[in-house]
Amino acid sequence: MAKRPGGELATRPLHFIWIADCSGSMGVDGKIQTLNTAIREAIPFMRQVADENPNAEVLVRALRFSSGAQWHVSQPTPVADFKWTDLAAEGVTDMGRALRMIADQLKMPPMTDRALPPVLVLLSDGQPTDDFSEGLKALMDQPWGKKAVRMVIAIGGDADLEVLEKFIGNPEIKPLQANNPEALVRHIRWVSTAVLKAASSPASQAKGVGSSTSNVPIPSAPVAGAGPSSSSDVW
Amino acid sequence: MSSDETWRIIGKRQQGASHVFLGMPNQDDIRWDKGDDPFPWAVIAVSDGHGSPKCFRSERGASIAVEVAVNVGREFLMSQISRSNLPLVKVWAEEKLHQHILDRWLEEVKEDCVRKPFSAEEPSGLDDRDRPATRRAIDERPEIAYGATLVTCLITTGFVIYLQIGDGDILSVSSEGEVSRPLPADPRLFANETTSLSSKDALLDFRFGFQVISGRPPALTLLSTDGYSNAFRDDCGFLKVGSDLLDIIRTDGPGQVEQYLPTWLKEATETGSGDDVTLGLVIWEEVVARLPRGTAEGGVDRAHHE
Repeated sequence: MAKRPGGELATRPLHFIWIADCSGSMGVDGKIQTLNTAIREAIPFMRQVADENPNAEVLVRALRFSSGAQWHVSQPTPVADFKWTDLAAEGVTDMGRALRMIADQLKMPPMTDRALPPVLVLLSDGQPTDDFSEGLKALMDQPWGKKAVRMVIAIGGDADLEVLEKFIGNPEIKPLQANNPEALVRHIRWVSTAVLKAASSPASQAKGVGSSTSNVPIPSAPVAGAGPSSSSDVW
Repeated sequence: MSSDETWRIIGKRQQGASHVFLGMPNQDDIRWDKGDDPFPWAVIAVSDGHGSPKCFRSERGASIAVEVAVNVGREFLMSQISRSNLPLVKVWAEEKLHQHILDRWLEEVKEDCVRKPFSAEEPSGLDDRDRPATRRAIDERPEIAYGATLVTCLITTGFVIYLQIGDGDILSVSSEGEVSRPLPADPRLFANETTSLSSKDALLDFRFGFQVISGRPPALTLLSTDGYSNAFRDDCGFLKVGSDLLDIIRTDGPGQVEQYLPTWLKEATETGSGDDVTLGLVIWEEVVARLPRGTAEGGVDRAHHE
């Protein structure tokens, strides 16, 4: 048999990045503990979604921000090998710094234009204490920043929804409101599965055709817990 | 292989591995034709139906696209009585060819809608939030449901015309094995997004190239849907397909390529992109004529739909 023409074949990388608020307020009423547990428990479900989409290579990372920002998991890690180490809460809310660090990682290179749109999941319970606008601009200046699937989980009633909606940048998608541990777990599970699955699909979207403004059609979020505050709210 | 033929054409479309898994059809298509009267010519087209829920008839849209492109291309070449006036040929092609293709595609889509009107269930697979707005958009512009790309080439011994809307690739391989892209990149084709025959501004979104052949024509011209280039780790690996195929044809004959192309494309989608993968290949016969005696293989292809 003649040798196959061309270079090395490879599945398409799909970068999934958790961006977690670790400011001091996340230490109140068990928010950070719930976040840690929810992400850890979501990993098997992420693996299941990845297994069902073998042509997408799901690579997971995590960034924490409080007073400054640091990579919690710095290397793009295959979801099969991804492990969650607990985050702790202290300091302020330097969200702008976190977005600048994400922007650096979405440059080409290291990204390539054959990647699938990255998924960025921002979890926050407060208001930025640094220059959020500058961070957002740095992110949106990158082609992959602009075309990333940007999701938000707003934790508790003090989350700055106006800022978080600017991060999403799509009027069709609203922040997922988590006012209690059950809602936070549910939302983390949903972005880990439904959103990841949508981003794994390679279906092309015709530019400027139809109603959607997104290059990745995101399914509607589960209704329960996404609405106004209820009596079970504790945050 | 008959020695008086100018080109040999090989093509294959392979259902994407993810389409097989999800029970989706192959939404790519390919078609070609060639002849020697009144001069040697070949036309080839590939198309990739978008496959998103709102483009629920994109498989049909791709099929119409390749049929229309080959028919319009053939008619265009047959109308070029004086091929020596290349500037005139270029002007006409650049100004009119894409318009004729688009007009004909829209006509055929309209007729298809009459033959098979949208059902109340279409489009299926859409989120409830998006369904009403999408249905309104499709009622207003039914071609949205048929959204597809188009990559096509018209080849003669005097000139080559390249025409493309949306993603996909054209590679030109010289007799020396140098691989080039005859059309400029379109930066809008990024992150799942593509220009489309179904876009309102489709006429403005075509890319056009005209190559005058003063010496030898391209040894190989490759057309593919984006599922093929996306299967390679990097662009160098994809470009290498051009020079490798030329080597294989020269060493083993085009019959080897024809025989193993289905296997190669299946491997590309399974190990690589997961998307539908289509490759069309126009081989200049003199490349084969230089093979050692006894290695060239038979087979004549005419108007064809793989």
